[in-house]
Order: sequence, then structure tokens, then C-alpha cells
Amino acid sequence: MKNVIKKSVAGIVIGVLLVVLAKVLSFPPVFQVMFFGYAILGAVVYMLLDAPSMRPLGGFKAIIGLIVFYAIVSTVYIGGASFLPQFDPEDEKGKIEKLLKAKRAATEQGKAEELLLRAKALSEKADALMARLQAVGGEAAVAGASVSPNGDKPAGGMPATAGGGDLVALGKEQWNLQECYNCHKLFGEGGKKRGPELDNIASLMTPDELRQKVLDPQSWMADGFEKEYEKKKMPDKYKELMEDKDVTALVAFLATLKNPSVNTPKPIKKK
Amino acid sequence: MKNRWRQSLLIMLGMLGLLVSLGTAAYAQIPSAPSIEFPYTGNRTAVWIVAQLHILFAAFILGAPIFIVISEWLGYRKQDPRYDRLAKEVTKVTVILYSMTALTGGLFIFVLLATYPQFTTWLINHFFLIFAVIYPLLFIAETIVLYLYFYSWDALKGEKKGRHIAIGVLLNLIGTITLFIIDGPTSFMNTPSKATEGISLVDFIQTASLWDKIFNYSWIPMNLHRLVGNVTFGGFIAGLIAAYMYMGAKKEEDRAYYDWMGFVGNLIGVGALLFLPFMGYLYAYELCDYDASICPYMMADQLSMFFEMQGAMVGLIFLGSNYYIWLSMKRVEGVERVRMSLLTVLVMVALPFVMTYTWTLFPAPDPKSLAVLILLILIPVVFARLVPLTVSSRTVIKVGFLMVVIGNAIWMTPHGFVATQALSTEHLELPSDWSWLALMPAKNSAAFTLVFVTVVNYILYNRAIRQGTIVWGKIDFTAQFVLVFLAFSMIWTMGLMGAIRSLLRKYFHVYNLIPDFTAESYTPTLSYSAWTVTGITLAFYLVVSFAIIVTLRATDAKAVVPEGKPVPAGAK
Repeated sequence: MKNVIKKSVAGIVIGVLLVVLAKVLSFPPVFQVMFFGYAILGAVVYMLLDAPSMRPLGGFKAIIGLIVFYAIVSTVYIGGASFLPQFDPEDEKGKIEKLLKAKRAATEQGKAEELLLRAKALSEKADALMARLQAVGGEAAVAGASVSPNGDKPAGGMPATAGGGDLVALGKEQWNLQECYNCHKLFGEGGKKRGPELDNIASLMTPDELRQKVLDPQSWMADGFEKEYEKKKMPDKYKELMEDKDVTALVAFLATLKNPSVNTPKPIKKK
Repeated sequence: MKNRWRQSLLIMLGMLGLLVSLGTAAYAQIPSAPSIEFPYTGNRTAVWIVAQLHILFAAFILGAPIFIVISEWLGYRKQDPRYDRLAKEVTKVTVILYSMTALTGGLFIFVLLATYPQFTTWLINHFFLIFAVIYPLLFIAETIVLYLYFYSWDALKGEKKGRHIAIGVLLNLIGTITLFIIDGPTSFMNTPSKATEGISLVDFIQTASLWDKIFNYSWIPMNLHRLVGNVTFGGFIAGLIAAYMYMGAKKEEDRAYYDWMGFVGNLIGVGALLFLPFMGYLYAYELCDYDASICPYMMADQLSMFFEMQGAMVGLIFLGSNYYIWLSMKRVEGVERVRMSLLTVLVMVALPFVMTYTWTLFPAPDPKSLAVLILLILIPVVFARLVPLTVSSRTVIKVGFLMVVIGNAIWMTPHGFVATQALSTEHLELPSDWSWLALMPAKNSAAFTLVFVTVVNYILYNRAIRQGTIVWGKIDFTAQFVLVFLAFSMIWTMGLMGAIRSLLRKYFHVYNLIPDFTAESYTPTLSYSAWTVTGITLAFYLVVSFAIIVTLRATDAKAVVPEGKPVPAGAK
């Protein structure tokens, strides 16, 4: 018991000292808690080192001891993992849906699903028409006939949102979907020096050159990123993963990045 | 009678495994079989559970024979019957678990075909020669050799022992080839062979040779990582067997034997564990080399907290294994006389800081940093006689534990406590002046510190048993729980790392090649993964515990005849 009290006090004192030190050095609170946790872990380790020998267990007591032990370890592992920040799958589900939409549509199954959906929509429209005809008689039949038979355009004639949407906004969405932020810093966010900061890239490259770089990463090299270029750090996969319209949108977004206050490195043509 | 019952059980399990395998092969012939929906778990988790269970059994039956043969050989060379008994007892458990490997393997394919029929058929078509010819032949050969090895144990003794060991070597050879072969499709799913310039990946894969597909970026690192991991795993499971048997032992001599077996199992486990962080590093390096976007995805994005948990587990395993050495040393009479150079302690303390600085200046694999590391490690060896200051073994180990905690702290310090880089804010990130704590130089230094402390502790232990007297069977009972803890943690970590490897493919069955259009292609939460991994670990433990009880507790341990003199064949 004396051992436990002594080590606990030492652990808490060291933990508090670490927290104060971390605070002085501008570590955020979450890291201060982490340092305190390590101090307590150290105290527990030293408690175990000086703990008295355990009395041997046998038979039924050993089995109970093992079951309790497994329960404790399982709880600690599940609890520990659950305590850490959790990624919300809902965030990714929408993203995957957008990324795979075109690919899914291109598959046999995707085509069949689309046909089914269209057939279902037509069937619903036909049912609605029938209901209206039955309700109002012959006049309604004329009105109903003006609706496009393929059912994919609303009566109001509004264009499909994707086609008429903001290209730059779609490009920004591609920036996030393709996780460009993991390597390139933009607007002061993301990137860990794996790739150049791109805030002023549009002042240095034309849209065609930007497109060339996305589709063939070895075509251009950022000044000062020779090592990364040699190691082919930028993946050569976007020409296969991205639809042409997605590349167009991404390029449109990149073409708006003209912030001379950020030192985007000079691109060097390689091909 | 008991032997006959056990043999019947083994044959039944083997037959069941074969039947399941044949059933799956027949199912695979059904054209365009529709996928089914698993109730409660969903399809992905159902595959996850069965696949992970299969991999755990397979890891044991491939890893255990490596040290079984080494143990048998040591027993023969040293004329120490304990080694032979250890080898034979672990083989008995291996034979039961071999059947479970076949059973879960068949079940795995069965579930995969039922849940992901199109993709599974695609994969089988691309690796048809492996799945239809090479793998089954290797499996049959391994079955024959394993049973031959097990059932010829008593017949091939004395002068014939060499032949028995040769069968064991053959078994390992077939096992290792089997592992390497099946790693082909598995690694391909993560890093499909790159297309030559001007050809799309889809077109290239359609025409690529089988060898092109097998010899992909992550195949060799995965082989090495799994091979070493399997030995580690086998060692810790041997420790688990010893712990169970020690707890149930009635006789002093059995307790002494199982105490010794626990120590050897842990030694093998830790010995291989020392290489694992570096094998893992090589594996990650190749993955990042294949596609640089994988690196931030696993270290800074959606899988960053999975790695945080993995770091915690590796740290705990190192803590546990060093604690076992501490408990082992406590029962060595005369341990207080053992001392070590003060320089060793100083190097131990300086290592993480000096090496972090060095690797920052000369990033790996720059030979300058390697030279500094070697010089640092050699300081106690070269200068110990010039600086005759020594400290007690107790002090060395206690400082070692402090450094293990510090090493763990460095290893586990993330760049930010966020589930994904996109959610990062300055309130959750390291201050910019301290961001080096989350970079590879610091992580490498932490790994080397953990390894260095463990090696120093083993050197101390070795000195202690040479200068003092070891009393087998008198170890602190806590040590048995440490062995159980190590095996459990090792299995849990393997489960988590397996999940990480699979999740690296993102929303693809085959990375960047075959998209997963199902609704479950997202990254599950770490909490959900921890629940699943814990469930799998407990299920595996249940089967292993059953196997140990059936094979070892059912029979009385018999004294093994030393192998020095020729003994008539078949003699007991």
C-alpha cells in the first residue's frame, strides 16, 4: 500500500509539472492531458515493479482469474480505442458516393440500376397521370400529354444542376474529394511540405498546363521539390480515377488561385 | 484410448475443412451468383471476422513450426529433453489448429463468394493458377508433411533424430512457400502492379502475367513482415500454452518445466518482435513509394488514430515483455551481484534525443545516421573498461523502464488529435516548434530505444543466470498473467494492423482498380474496429484454449528420453 501511495504521489507531481511545462511551451490542452497520462503510466509501471509477489492461483480460482483478466484487458482496449477521436463514416459515405457515381453508372449493374430507376420513375408518372385522368376527365389528359415521355426533365424546364452548376465550386469539391489537401497547403490549411503551396499557382501556370500536371505529374516540377519529383511523390493516377469533367472543374478551381503574398514555387517544365 | 479419440477428432476436423473447401469450389462454379446480406454484422464485418480468424490460425501454424524445429534441434544438440518436450507439445497444438486453419480458410472463401461474388470471381480468375493448382497442392503437401512430422516423432528418435528434424525443415519450407504464394493476391489488392507508361492500369492488368501480378510493390515487404510476425506470434502463443499449463500443474517438476517453457516462448516472441517495427517500417515505406498519397492517408488522415492505437499496443507489448524479464530476474538467486557499465545507462537515456537530432539532419536511409547509431551503441562495449563505473542490474532495468515509457510517449505523440487532417485546428495540433515530435526521425528513435532497452535487459538476464542460480518453477505468479497479456495483446495488434492494411485500399477492392460499390466501403470508426477485433481475439482465444486443454491437459506429461544414445525405433 505504501508503494502505491508513494508512486501515485510521485506520478501526480511529475504529471502536474509536465502539464505546467507543456502549458508554458504552448502545447494545446489535449497534449497536456496526454503528458499527464504518461506520468501516471510511469507511476503504474513502477508500482508493478515493486509490487509484492502474487499468490499462486489454481483450479477454479485460476479460471475465474483468467476470465476477469480477459474482461479487464478487453475493456481497456475497447475503451482506449473509443476514447481517441473517431472519424465519422457519414462524412465519407457522401464522398464515396460522389467519387464512384460515374464508375458505378458505367458498370453493367450500374446501367441496369439506372434503367430500373428510370422505369420506376416512368411507372410512377404513369400512375399519377392515370389518377389525374380518372379524377378530372379529358381536359387533364391533354395537359398530361405535354410532359416529356422520358421523364428526366421537369415540366418547368429547369436545367440539371450539375451541368449548370458553379464549375469553380465543383473544382473545390474535387480538391477535397481527391484529398489534395494532404500534400498541398492552400489558404493556410493542409499539406505537410510533401507538395508545394498552391495559393498563387494560377499566376504561374495556364489552365492547360495545370491540366497537364494533374494528368501527368512528371510533366512539371516545382522548384525546390527535386527530391519529391525524382521519387514521383505525386501519384500518377488521376487520369484514371477522375472523369474528364472533374479534371476540368479542378483546373477551373486552381486557375482562380492568384495570391501573390504566398510564395508558390516556380513550376519547371519537364516534358 | 485417449490417443485414438484425439486422432479421430483431428481427422474429423481435417475432413470438415476439406468438405468446406470443396463446397466453396463448387459454389464458385455457379455463374453470377447473387450476393447475400449477412444479418446483424453486415457483409463486410462477416468477411472481416472469418478472414481474421483464418489469418490468426494460419499465422500460428506457419510461425510455430519455425521455432518447433529449432527447439527440437537444440534439444538434440544440448541433450536437454525439455526442448524436445516443448517442440512436441507445441506441435500437438499446431496439429489441432492446422485443422482449424483449413476450416476457417474454406469458410473464408465461402463467405467471400456469397457476399462479394463478382469481385471474388474476378480475383480467382486473375490468380487462377494459384487458387486452383499451386495453393491446393502446397496445402496438401503441407498436410502430409505435418502429419508425417507429428506421427513419426517417437519412431524417429535417437540416431534417426536427424531425419525427423529434416522433415521439420521440409515442413517449414513448404509453409513459407505457401505464405509467400498466398501473399501474392493479398498484396496485389493493396498495390496492383504498375502499368508501363502510356497504358492504363485496367488494360495492363488484363494482359499482365501472373508473375507481374504477384511481384508487386508490397509483396516482398509483406512476406517479411508476416514471416517475422508469425514467429513472434508463435512464440507468444507458446508462452500462453506454458502459462495455462503452469496454472494447472500439480507437480513441482511440471511447474519448473512450464516456467522454463514460458521463458523460452517469451524469448522467441521478443527476439522476433525486435525486428517487427523495422519490417513494418519497410512495408510502410514500400506502400508510400507505390503511391505517396497512402502515407498521409494512414499517418495523418482517416487512419491516423488507428496508428495511434497501434503505437499504444506495440508500446504495451514492449512494456509487458520487459516486465516479464524483470519478474524472471527476481527469481534468480545472486542477481544482486550483477552490474553493468554506467555508460550503457547513459546511452540508453541519450539514444532517443541524439538519434532524433541525427535523423533530422541525415534522414533515413542516409548512412551517416546509421554510422552515428552504431557508434552510440558501441560506446558501452568499447569504453566500458576505460570508465569502470558500474550500476546495479536493478537500477539499469528501472532506468530502462523509464526510457520505455518515454519511448512510448514519443512514438504515440501524433501531429494532431484529430480523426482526419481535414478537421485539424491549432487547438488540436502540436505547436509548430514541436512538430518534429510527430515526424519519422522521432518515431524511428523511439523504436530503437524500445529495442535497445529490451536487448540490454536480456543481456542483464543472461549475465544473471551465468553468475547466479535460476530456480525454475518459482517465478512470481504474476508472470503467468504477463504471458497471457502478451499473447492477447499480440493477437489484438495483429487484428488491428490487418484492419489497417485492408482499409488502406479505401473504397476499392483492389486499390485504384476495382471499386467497391457496396454501401459498406467506408472506413469504420476506430471504436467499431476495436469491438470487432476484440471479439475476434476472444473467439480465437476460446479455440486455442480448447486446443491446449484437449491436447495437453488430457495427457500426463511423460519424461522424454535424452537423445544421446541410440534408442530402438518406436521406443517410448
